[in-house]
Amino acid sequence: MDLLFFIAPLAVGGISAAFAALISVTDRIVNNYGDVVIDINKGKKELTVKGGQPMLFGLAESGIFVPSACGGRGSCGACKVTVRSDVGPLMPTEAPYLTQEEIKGSVRLSCQIKLKQDVEIEIPEELFNVQDYQAVVEKITDVTHDIKEVYCKLPEGKEVSFISGQYGQFEVPPYGKVKERTMRAYSMSSAPSDRNHLEFLIRLVPGGIVTTYAHEHLKEGEKVRIIGPFGDFQVRDTDATMICVAGGSGMAPFKSIFQDMIDNGTITNRDIWYFFGARSRRDVFYLDWLYELDEKYNNFHFVPALSEPQPEDNWEGPTGLITEVLDGYLKEKISREHNLEGYLCGSPGMLDACMAVMTANEMKTEDIFFDKFA
Amino acid sequence: MKMSPQYTRAQANMQPGVITSDGFLGDDHRNLVDIIEADEEKFSQLDLDFDHVARRLRSLLEAGRKGLGEPVTIEGKWIITTSEARGHLASPFEDGIYRKVNARIEYAPQGKPTGEELLISDLSLHLLETHHFLQGKGSPFRIEPEKIRKVLEI
Repeated sequence: MDLLFFIAPLAVGGISAAFAALISVTDRIVNNYGDVVIDINKGKKELTVKGGQPMLFGLAESGIFVPSACGGRGSCGACKVTVRSDVGPLMPTEAPYLTQEEIKGSVRLSCQIKLKQDVEIEIPEELFNVQDYQAVVEKITDVTHDIKEVYCKLPEGKEVSFISGQYGQFEVPPYGKVKERTMRAYSMSSAPSDRNHLEFLIRLVPGGIVTTYAHEHLKEGEKVRIIGPFGDFQVRDTDATMICVAGGSGMAPFKSIFQDMIDNGTITNRDIWYFFGARSRRDVFYLDWLYELDEKYNNFHFVPALSEPQPEDNWEGPTGLITEVLDGYLKEKISREHNLEGYLCGSPGMLDACMAVMTANEMKTEDIFFDKFA
Repeated sequence: MKMSPQYTRAQANMQPGVITSDGFLGDDHRNLVDIIEADEEKFSQLDLDFDHVARRLRSLLEAGRKGLGEPVTIEGKWIITTSEARGHLASPFEDGIYRKVNARIEYAPQGKPTGEELLISDLSLHLLETHHFLQGKGSPFRIEPEKIRKVLEI
C-alpha cells in the first residue's frame, strides 16, 4: 500500500513529462519551416530568412523595414505589402484594415502573415533605403507643457538622407509594466540639411507607452533606435499656394519643410499659409521663429489660432477651432490666382475635419496631402 | 464565481502584450469574473447605471473630439483632451474592433481643475457598457466607480 502511495505520483509525473516531451518534439517538427525565401519586386531583392515568424519581422531581420506604427501588433494597419504568391486566406485580423480594392489586389498586412514557405511580394522601392540607426539623445527641450523636442545624434560616420515631411519610427526599451520594446511613428522635425541628426516632437498621450517613456524616462545621452525614413508626405513641386494646417506636435513636419525650403531657396517661390491651432498661449510654440518668417518673407503667412484663450494670454489673434479659422481665410483672404494645395498633419479626426473644410471650399481631394497618424 | 470559456479566453487576451503592451488587468490578480462582479456590486451600491454612465462618457468623448486634439471645455465643468492614433484595437472579448481614441476628462467646475480626472477610450467604453468590465486595479484605463460619481456629478 505504502509503495503504491509513492509509485503512483511518480508514474503520473513520468507520463506527464513524456507527453510534454512529445508535444515539444512534435511542435519542433510540425512548426519548423526552415529557411524561406522572400522575393521582392520580381527578383529585385531576394532574402533568405528563418521561417515561422511574421513576414514583417523576417523582412526587418534582413534590413527591409516596412512601416509599422504599432510595432507588429496588428493594430495600425500600416504594414501593407502586395503578395503575389499563396500565403493562405485573409485573416480576420487583417480585414478591418483593408479596402475591397486592396483585398482584390492581394494586399495583406505583413505582421499577420506567418512565413511558412517561399513567398513573392511587392513593396515600394523607397523602402530599400530605409535605415536602422542607433542614435544618442543629444538634447531634450520642453517646447510646451506637454510637448518635448527630442534631438538625436546619429553614430559617428553615419548620415541620414530624407525628404522633409517624412517620418521615422522611434523605439523605446521595456520599462515598468511594459515588457517589450515598443515603436511608434513620429514625423522628423529637423531639416534634411542636418544630416547627422534627427529631431522629433513628442506630445504626451495619457496611457501612451512611447510618449510616457519620452516624457518621464528618456534622458540626454541615452541610446535610442530610430528606423526611417518613411512616408510620402512631402511638398509637391508646383507653383500652387500651400495651405498648411497643424496642431500640437503636428508642427513637426512643417518645421522641417519650412527650414528645408529656406535652405534650398524655394521658400519665396510660392504663397504659403500656415495655420496652427492650439487651446491657449501655453500650447503654442516656435512663435518667434514663425513670426520672423512671416515678417521676412512676403509670401509666408503664419496664422496661429487659439480655441480657448485664457485671460492672462492677452491674445489678440484669431480665436476658434483651427478649422473655423481656416474656413474664414479660404472664403475671404486667400487668393485663388493659383491652385491651392493642402498639407495637413494631425490626428485622424483633425485631418477629416480639415479635409471637409478644404473640399467645401472647392479644393480638390487629390491636392490635399497628409500622413494619417498621430 | 466560475469562469466561462468566453471569460477565460478574454482574460488571456487581457494579458500584457496580447492586444496592448500594458494589458487590461494592471496589478489585479483576481479572475476577470471576480473583477466584474465586484464592480457591478459597487455600481449598485453607488446607484450607478452602466448604460447611463457609458452614454454620458461617450457624449463627453465625442464633444472632446471636436477640439481636434486640443483641450476643450464642456459645459464649464469638464476640460477634455482627446488623443487619436492610427488604427484600431480589438476587444479582448473578441466582439469587435475600436478606434484608437482616448480622452482625458478633467473635472473643472468654473474652469478650475480639481485634480479629479478619468481616462477613457473608445474600447474602454465598450468594455464598460457591454461587459461591465472597468479593467483591473492598476490598469492605466481603470475607471473607478467612485471617481465616475465625482467627475460626472452623478
